[in-house]
Amino acid sequence: MSLIASGYLTPTNVQEAVSLKRKLRDKALVVAGGTAAVQLISKMIIEPQAIISLEKVPLDYVKIRSNSVEIGATTSIAKLIQSRGLPNALKKAAESIHGLALKDMATVGGNIFTPAPAGDLATALLSLDAVLILRGGRGMRSVPLSNFYRGPLQFNIKPDEILTAVKISRPPKLSAFLKQTPWKYSGPTIASVSASLDLDRNGRTRRAMVALGGLTTHPYRAKKVEKMITGKKLSEQLIDGAAQQLTDGVEVIDDALASSWYRRELAQVLFKRILYNFISGGD
Amino acid sequence: MRIRFKLDGQDVEVDVKHTDTLLKVLKDRIGVGSVHFGCGEGSCGACMVLINGRLRYSCLTLAGYVDGKEVTTVAALARDGELTEIQRAFLENDAAQCGYCTPGMILTAKVLLEKNPSPSDEELFDALAGNLCRCTGYIPIINAIKSVSRR
Ligand SMILES: Cc1cc2nc3c(=O)[nH]c(=O)nc-3n(C[C@H](O)[C@H](O)[C@H](O)COP(=O)(O)OP(=O)(O)OC[C@H]3O[C@@H](n4cnc5c(N)ncnc54)[C@H](O)[C@@H]3O)c2cc1C
Ligand code: FES
Ligand code: FES
Repeated sequence: MSLIASGYLTPTNVQEAVSLKRKLRDKALVVAGGTAAVQLISKMIIEPQAIISLEKVPLDYVKIRSNSVEIGATTSIAKLIQSRGLPNALKKAAESIHGLALKDMATVGGNIFTPAPAGDLATALLSLDAVLILRGGRGMRSVPLSNFYRGPLQFNIKPDEILTAVKISRPPKLSAFLKQTPWKYSGPTIASVSASLDLDRNGRTRRAMVALGGLTTHPYRAKKVEKMITGKKLSEQLIDGAAQQLTDGVEVIDDALASSWYRRELAQVLFKRILYNFISGGD
Repeated sequence: MRIRFKLDGQDVEVDVKHTDTLLKVLKDRIGVGSVHFGCGEGSCGACMVLINGRLRYSCLTLAGYVDGKEVTTVAALARDGELTEIQRAFLENDAAQCGYCTPGMILTAKVLLEKNPSPSDEELFDALAGNLCRCTGYIPIINAIKSVSRR
């Protein structure tokens, strides 16, 4: 293990990273691309006794197989975009994060931990039923992303664990992601919708997964909507009816960026755009 | 902790804390002039440098990260007083007014054009999304970069 000097630790493999995390637990801050983590320090939100930098841990890979996609936690957004055969929603979410430096620094794993108004990849991954691979003192653990968020900045990860990969099994045939930001090429996500579908031979929905981002502290799945459209042939009427249930029972963020009313309306518009496009044969 | 790195070709050694940002070390400790503090949160690009040739926000990079690496600022691009093509294009197109954003703009343009010598407008705007300019209205900057891109 190369220990540059006290405080800044650069493990060279997952095992070393985990053993450091096991020893230091919450006293150490894991840093991947640093785009969010370093701000926690410079804004004096936290004062870690040590940094565990993942820069030398070889988790920077994308494996695309016929029936699965696996992405190493420290894969940059720039690298992700270059991979051929990514599910459309994930590709679109990655492309929607702008800026040459940001795309090259920000990692897929880090994005899972950045709450609204960020976390665009997390929203897309949630609609692809992604599973997180965590490694800790007691070995490996798989956690569905849908079971990872516990509350504002609270995650289903133990103090001795690090995220090593994100896996998508049986990527859905149709998927798309749309978000709205205040400016075209940058700015916080006001609302985002990611939807994935598999249709049967008769054009009926066999599997539907709908995730919403930007509306709450972490992305969530609109289970009620998924149920409404599963087993049915999509029509504009069905889509419009389902759209009204997207934020049912959800307390939507209301802040200086947008009112909760606006965010709810926006989510419906984005959802309808995606699903109308699916029925008209687009992606 | 002590870190050693190359800064614009020169060996540098400096004592830093594990929580120091590279921006802070470059500006406050070493006195680099072309690396600017704008926002400290990745929103403006005034602090950009190249680390081993890759574009980085120095405000979002910890100093420990550059140990053993090469840091390049805009000041090292010109050779023997001879400006690079991109720098000349910025001059010719009046793409700098106060100049605060210019180092980041030029480094972004350099990295973009190395990867993609003939970017589309879409690709250009996407790449420059992390660089704010409060003066020029961007048109001269876009024109300068387009003037050296291969169409
Ligand atoms: C100017 C700017 C614009 C942005 N725009 C967008 C945008 O449009 N859309 C969007 O979705 N996001 C956006 N972001 C957020 C950015 O995408 C995320 O911050 C990024 O993906 C985080 O990745 P990172 O590698 O930099 O994470 P880091 O900053 O290194 O880490 C973030 C958090 O995750 C933890 N962590 C990271 N990796 C692991 C791991 N493997 N195991 C355990 N814990 C880990 C860290 O401890 C830290 O708490 C923006 C950020 C900035 C600065
Ligand atoms: S100071 Fe680093 S991006 Fe603004
Ligand atoms: S020239 Fe003044 S900020 Fe760009």
